[in-house]
Amino acid sequence: MSIVRTNGRGTTQVLGNTAKWVVLIFFFTFTFIPLLWLLISSFKTNLELQLKPFAMPEIWQFANYANAMKISGLPRLFLNSIIVSTVSTGLTMIVTSMAGFVFSRERFPFRQGLLNLILAGVLVPIIALMAPYFRLTNSLGIYDSLWALIFTYTAINIPISTFLLYGFMRTLPRELEEAAIMDGTGFVGRYWRIILPLTKPGMVTAGTFVFLFSWNEFIYAMLLTSRPAVRTLQLGIRFFTSQFFTDYTSMFAAIVLTMLPTIVIYIVLHEQIIKGMTSGALKG
Amino acid sequence: MYVKSSKNAFWIVLFLIPLLILFFFYFVYPLGFIFITSTLKWNGVSKPEFVGLQHFISNFQNKTFLLSVKNNFIWLFANGFVQIGLAALVALILARRPRGWKFLRTVYFLPNVISQVAIAMMWAALYNAEYGAINQLLTAIGLDNLTHNWLGEYATALPAIIVQQVFYIGYFMIIILASVMTIPDSLYEAAEIDGANVWQQEWHITIPMIKDILVTAMTLAMAYGLRHFEATFLLTNGGPANRTSVLGILLYKKLSALKYGQASSISTTLVILGLIMIVVIRSTIGRKSSASDLTQ
Amino acid sequence: MKSIVRGLALLLIIAFAVPVFANGGSDAVVEETGEIVLSFPTFWVGQDSKSGPLASLLEAFNNQHAGEIKVLLEPNPDTDGYRDKLNTQLSSGRAPDIFVFNPDPTSFQYYDSDILFDFTDELQGSWRDNFVESYILDSTKDGKTKSVPYEIGITPIWYNSDLFAKVGVNTFPATIEEFWAAADKLKAAGIVPGSQMTGGSNAWTSMLWFSHIMGSLGGPDVWDKPLTDPVYVKGAEVLKKLFSDGNTTRDAVGGDAGVSGGHYMAGDTATFINGPWYIGRIRGDAPEVHAATRLAAAPKIGEYSGHQIGFMLSNLAAGNTDDPRKRDAIITFMKYMTEPDNVKMVSESAGSLFAVKYELGADADPLQREFVRAASEASFVIGHFQSQVDVSVIQEFGQALAAMALGEATPEEFVQMLIDAQ
Repeated sequence: MSIVRTNGRGTTQVLGNTAKWVVLIFFFTFTFIPLLWLLISSFKTNLELQLKPFAMPEIWQFANYANAMKISGLPRLFLNSIIVSTVSTGLTMIVTSMAGFVFSRERFPFRQGLLNLILAGVLVPIIALMAPYFRLTNSLGIYDSLWALIFTYTAINIPISTFLLYGFMRTLPRELEEAAIMDGTGFVGRYWRIILPLTKPGMVTAGTFVFLFSWNEFIYAMLLTSRPAVRTLQLGIRFFTSQFFTDYTSMFAAIVLTMLPTIVIYIVLHEQIIKGMTSGALKG
Repeated sequence: MYVKSSKNAFWIVLFLIPLLILFFFYFVYPLGFIFITSTLKWNGVSKPEFVGLQHFISNFQNKTFLLSVKNNFIWLFANGFVQIGLAALVALILARRPRGWKFLRTVYFLPNVISQVAIAMMWAALYNAEYGAINQLLTAIGLDNLTHNWLGEYATALPAIIVQQVFYIGYFMIIILASVMTIPDSLYEAAEIDGANVWQQEWHITIPMIKDILVTAMTLAMAYGLRHFEATFLLTNGGPANRTSVLGILLYKKLSALKYGQASSISTTLVILGLIMIVVIRSTIGRKSSASDLTQ
Repeated sequence: MKSIVRGLALLLIIAFAVPVFANGGSDAVVEETGEIVLSFPTFWVGQDSKSGPLASLLEAFNNQHAGEIKVLLEPNPDTDGYRDKLNTQLSSGRAPDIFVFNPDPTSFQYYDSDILFDFTDELQGSWRDNFVESYILDSTKDGKTKSVPYEIGITPIWYNSDLFAKVGVNTFPATIEEFWAAADKLKAAGIVPGSQMTGGSNAWTSMLWFSHIMGSLGGPDVWDKPLTDPVYVKGAEVLKKLFSDGNTTRDAVGGDAGVSGGHYMAGDTATFINGPWYIGRIRGDAPEVHAATRLAAAPKIGEYSGHQIGFMLSNLAAGNTDDPRKRDAIITFMKYMTEPDNVKMVSESAGSLFAVKYELGADADPLQREFVRAASEASFVIGHFQSQVDVSVIQEFGQALAAMALGEATPEEFVQMLIDAQ
């Protein structure tokens, strides 16, 4: 998209420009300050954090970072989180894009009812599902494994992902496929070669969602695993809580340590994502 | 439309099966569990006792429950309108690629990537009556009569939490931005030639074209409003005096008290409210869109 | 519209039909020979003061019984998460082999089912002598003892003797009138009399204050009185005063344990309440306050005085099983954990106190000795409010307290909110 910019002539334009920057800077401050605060707080003592949360640390407590690194297997936890999040995302994408394709482009009995049923899943409060999910995971024999998390996260995100992908696929005009049908492209070909590539923006949207959910999820990560070897990052961070006291500053140090690779990954992938999003645009 | 050959039917079924299996085990079964439990009095280990709709009736007679429902609706509007409105505003601004837009876009999204607990902690510290930055700032500029125990007073507690939440627009902003950026430049160039200014361009071109994604985002945001739990749990635990309580918090409390029947009745109520919400959205905003009536 | 109705109908039909066919999964078959593995999920890990001693106890046990019994620790530092997970497991019929049992009325409901290991028979023997008898009785319901008392808490009033001395008060006020007088002196000197809190899941500090107050008003049997007894309203009135007139900090309403403890450790407030587990925290973070801290009984309000609040903090429990080898393993481990020497080691290392009888060594922390002295010198000991009522009441306690502190509810209404929560 070329830069369409009105030239700042006239008071309305200047006001508009200023207003624009006020908004941007406001949001920047709002989002950046917590990160800065987190970073600085990670160098304080807990008492300092409690009583002088916005002052500079009296002495910079690098010990907090040493503590954070002491968490047994932090790299392993990180790896587990990556595995679970990416596999869940991938699985969700596959399953819901296939279903979204069928819902948006085919007619079959119960189509509408089924779709509504699935979309209603967005409304279910996840904490209410602890007991059933625990039983289910045990019945399937996958308790205390990464698969327990992967299947659970994939399933939990099915409604939202279907909602997003179906909505997106619906906007793709049928003419695109009609030509291909004339050429003899089959069902799978239509999905794989035509619709799916065009759905990239939708997939990125839904995928980001699923990934973030899986990355930040705590309740089921704790409920469905037992051995430290299959635990995820969110649980590792909880290492710093205990019955009567939480060592927030070391916890913050741990969060900062784990945030760095996350941010790097995010920045790298984001370029890819943007490329994917803008190259998929075909409407004219 | 397409030939409904048996071959097609085969593929249709095949493509649907993975989703249906997962959905069945992870939603239908648990929901059944929840619906049935909502008619029982059960503490998890003893023999359950059938009580019919008693939980639902007593819910609607309970002051805290009604207050929680009211708060959920407040969240619904705050998320669906304020948060999405702000997200759309920022997306529209960033879509015109001002200086540093890529950097800003990244920063705006970062809070979604880091721990919600840390963010909540910071805000709790900000709001603290004795040493929080907000009160200290007000005192420093001579406005100490405006200082409050933000999270501990009836009038300020809920707004305080809402403020903490609605300004974190990262996720929705990215979605809307992605959608705006798929609008071809040619439309804007043509409008520019016709003498339309920025506001007019946004109003007449951008917004109609992203209507679908806006409705999607709003629906999602509203669903989150109904499901709201974490921020309130971390900041006030529903207080003071249950003034900031939401159904999610009530649900959690019932589960902790081993009152599974009551907890399930709250879950069921949540689902029903959500369904009503979807129907309302569909019949008011959703209908006008032609190409993608998203929830139909 | 029709499609929605059809969708809903579909949902309802399936949803009601399905659970009928779902099964809960089969239990693993324990082999006839080979090592018995006992899983032990607990939150005595990580930053908890007992994590170090517990780990070494387990290592010693596993070495001692190598090839026969192995106890596997499952770390769950987050106590709320631990409780959620445990409840979920128990409601699914799958109790962990060994676990930490919270001795409160809500959890005692688990005694009514078969899911817990019953220790009653074993406790008829010499094992029983290890324990302070009252805790065994408190862990017994309907004649059955399905959890073993382990860690206990004693929560006297803490006061900063330096701050009190600064305003000329050299002994802790013995009556409530003296207490208010001392509070006025403190306030005149710019010191806040007490830390309070309505937040967290149980308004801990204030709940303990309430317990002390009730003890003074109603004596050793105060908790036998139902919530409708007027003595509770009297207690609420005193509690309300503790929140008014600048008697506590501005952030007490909505504040959590970090706020309450933080103010005491910073020297902002002159009184506080907590248990022995907090000793290490204060010693590390606020040494001057640690040196100045003394323990006392609550000021006399009603007819009674000199009492203390003491309660079971964490019990040990086990999942019920029919396998005789597993039963033996569980009993062996339980006896090991409650052996006086082992308990003493944990106690001296962590600062915690236990339901098992042992003598504190010469080099124990002096403040810890104070706790033991305070308990032994108490005229009587009662449990805290949390140990007497259902979790729902405690959940409502902080909320009702906030209402009362803000002047939105009278003491009568405060008590009524607690009654309604039952």
